[in-house]
Amino acid sequence: MILIVSKREALPGRGVLVVYLGALALALGLCAGMLLLAGKPALGGLAVLFQGAFGQAHSLLDALLKAIPIFLCSLGVALCFRMQIWNIGAEGQFALGAVGATWAALSFGGLPGALLLPLMFLSAMALGALWGLIPAVLRLRLGVNEIISSLMLNYVGILVLEYLVFGIWKDPASFGFPMTSEFPAGAQIGRMGASLGTGLLGKLHWGLLACPLAGLAYSVFLGRTRLGFELAACGEGERVARYARLPYGFLVLLVMGLGGALSGLAGCIETSATLGRLQPTVMVGYGYTAIVVAWLARLKPWPIAFTAFLLAALRVGVEAMQLELQIPAAFGQIMEGAILLCVLAGQFFLTYSVRLRRPAPSEAPS
Amino acid sequence: MAVQHQQHLQHDPDTGPVDVLPLVRLAGVTKRFGQVLANDGISLSIMPGRIKALLGENGAGKSTLMAMLAGRFQPDEGHIEVAGGRVRFDSSRQAIAAGIGMVYQHFMLVEDMSVAENVLLGQEGGFFLNPARMRAVVGELAGRFGLGIDPAARVGDLSMGERQRVEILKLLHRKSRVLIFDEPTAVLTPGETEALFDALRSMSAQGKAIVFISHKLEEVLSVADEIAVLRRGRVEGEFLASEVSSPADLARRMVGRDVLLDVRREAVEHGPVVLSVRDLSMRSVGGALLDNVGFDLRQGEILAVVGVGGNGQQPLVETLCGLTPPESGQVELLGESWSRFYAGNRWKGALAWIPEDRAGLATCRGLNLTDNLLLTTRQGFAHGQWLERGRATSTTGDIVREHNVQPGHVEAQAWQLSGGNLQKFVLGREMFREPRLLVAEQPTQGLDVAATEAVWQRLLDARKTAGVLLVTGDLSEALLLSDRILVMYRGRVMGLFPASDAVQVERIGALMAGLSG
Repeated sequence: MILIVSKREALPGRGVLVVYLGALALALGLCAGMLLLAGKPALGGLAVLFQGAFGQAHSLLDALLKAIPIFLCSLGVALCFRMQIWNIGAEGQFALGAVGATWAALSFGGLPGALLLPLMFLSAMALGALWGLIPAVLRLRLGVNEIISSLMLNYVGILVLEYLVFGIWKDPASFGFPMTSEFPAGAQIGRMGASLGTGLLGKLHWGLLACPLAGLAYSVFLGRTRLGFELAACGEGERVARYARLPYGFLVLLVMGLGGALSGLAGCIETSATLGRLQPTVMVGYGYTAIVVAWLARLKPWPIAFTAFLLAALRVGVEAMQLELQIPAAFGQIMEGAILLCVLAGQFFLTYSVRLRRPAPSEAPS
Repeated sequence: MAVQHQQHLQHDPDTGPVDVLPLVRLAGVTKRFGQVLANDGISLSIMPGRIKALLGENGAGKSTLMAMLAGRFQPDEGHIEVAGGRVRFDSSRQAIAAGIGMVYQHFMLVEDMSVAENVLLGQEGGFFLNPARMRAVVGELAGRFGLGIDPAARVGDLSMGERQRVEILKLLHRKSRVLIFDEPTAVLTPGETEALFDALRSMSAQGKAIVFISHKLEEVLSVADEIAVLRRGRVEGEFLASEVSSPADLARRMVGRDVLLDVRREAVEHGPVVLSVRDLSMRSVGGALLDNVGFDLRQGEILAVVGVGGNGQQPLVETLCGLTPPESGQVELLGESWSRFYAGNRWKGALAWIPEDRAGLATCRGLNLTDNLLLTTRQGFAHGQWLERGRATSTTGDIVREHNVQPGHVEAQAWQLSGGNLQKFVLGREMFREPRLLVAEQPTQGLDVAATEAVWQRLLDARKTAGVLLVTGDLSEALLLSDRILVMYRGRVMGLFPASDAVQVERIGALMAGLSG
């Protein structure tokens, strides 16, 4: 018996779903195995995970809140991935966005919210875009691989944030904790509570609105504008871009700038709405999760929204596991990685078909 | 003379001594890709101790033929015999087992491993490795066939010529009796080429059968014992190298003169000069790519640029079409200097380019036909920043209908189209831009008869509004379509004359081989 691997002519229709669900099941199986090795109940652990993620209304709500920054960062990296620019720097751009928002909030605290919030958005997006443009310029001018440079800038970005929070922006009344003083009311994105009542939904904040707006802009930009088309065409290869006289360099700058701005926006919303001040705990790896989300969702906006929510729920579920089973926090990242690797491996079956066959009787003379 | 000898070769197995039976025989091998006949009833014998050159232009069917020998495709008709027995290769592994090995243009080596490790990869013969012994085995093999190389060197540090020797050693170690070389000199320096030829002679002297695929005339004449000429998928002639009097003679045999089809070609009045090239030169490390090229092209005429592939056509087209700025000399397009013309970036009424690589350069395989239309015409469908997709889709539909592109719907992705249909679509798209200057590179290469005829008719129609620069390796195409012919050799213009000038046309073979006398 031999394995025959051959390239598929067309994408298998229903097979896509089968492969994705199969990969998900395999990833969960692997994680269950790891729980067993750690001496925890495997099935019980997964049950805690699901219960924690989807069991109560407040956990779903928590997942929705966590999905906001993931979704925004993911749109940003998806935009870059569209033209095969591998922006791994959403985490750093998110950090700079948080810094930008904090700068505006601390410097112009006296302004009314209607002026201050837009100012925070602007400065966050500008700093995020700037952080994204650095790898773009390095790539165009010096041929530096953007994967490496954008990844390295993540660490620099986080260090900048920590430098400010531990240093000049530290709240004198924080008893030495690394955090800024609380933002003035005008610099905090409000909760929807006022209009939705005091129920659970009231905990949602207006930052959620940024998601449909950004998603819509993403679809319209890629589907309806000339630049969006040129961007997608560039993703088909640099040779074609040269033949069709596409503005390749400009587009690299554009996607990295816009991608950085979206991640910066996420950093602003997270700082202003969730924490109400800047502290190092704002960095919990949303920028990395966003890459996983963009890839799993194949860069399409609706799947990105769905996947962002799913991975946010996974984070919430893992928090429950931490509490109930004393599982280390890193387990969440392990699960994320396992899902991504399984889906990536599964994509092999979308491109190739594998059959078992007995060796054909050879006609060659012996 | 050629025909006579062809018979002689075919009779050889019957009349000759028993020990010169062909190692490999192709018997009436035919291969189709969709409508395209890549190989048409090819019969060839590959003899031990002989170097056989397979000569032909790009798209003549050389690579398909060798891919069948190497087990990558199966013939649709006919069969392959190895040492007198019929074989059927389902994989390249079986071909290697039968003693047929191939050195591809792109080497398949592990750069971080040593020469010896690469040669013995997958053939280690045991669980434990013995590096000293591996080096000794490979060193001995290299010495026997005159392939000077250090078995301990890391492949990543080697020159292209040395890497090629590693590929050859891999085949020799696997006891290949037939070694096929696909354009082996394309990556070599002149010195390395000489060394390769010495090695080929040494291998052939030790009984190996060598197949040498090339379109370089001098090389074929200097190394081959026998030459088979392939054109449009058929063996057009088979003869001994000693029967060829000169490279010019060989060029004539290679490009042929037969007119396969007839198209209606009516004279069109010539208009203003649309392209003017003066003293265009370009250098690279290896020497001159373009050497003082100069010509004019007028609206209403077709100027054919002919020559054996790789003699400057590529850099010329890339300069004219805006990929590389002219290094020295002047290029004027539609009366504007090169830099002004390309700064303007007009999509309509200017220049259109139909590249040789229609699947990888002219179109995006993963985009549908509407998006592929937009690739070069997007400025025409943009309203400010907004793209008018509806209008683009209906225009694409018009082009698909008018040019009879199959499958006839605009949602088809480029990779789903056959080469001929893709080319018809590209032509339709580029003509939609109403160019005043049209550059067409090998526009009918690999197309079936019907598609070829359609493309030719479109090119002739294009003369009404444009000047056409036709870069082709197919002399019959050039003679059929063009008003004037420009012959290139090593980046130089060897001759520029009207296609009606019978005396000059007779000399094209000589000019293509670099003989101006």
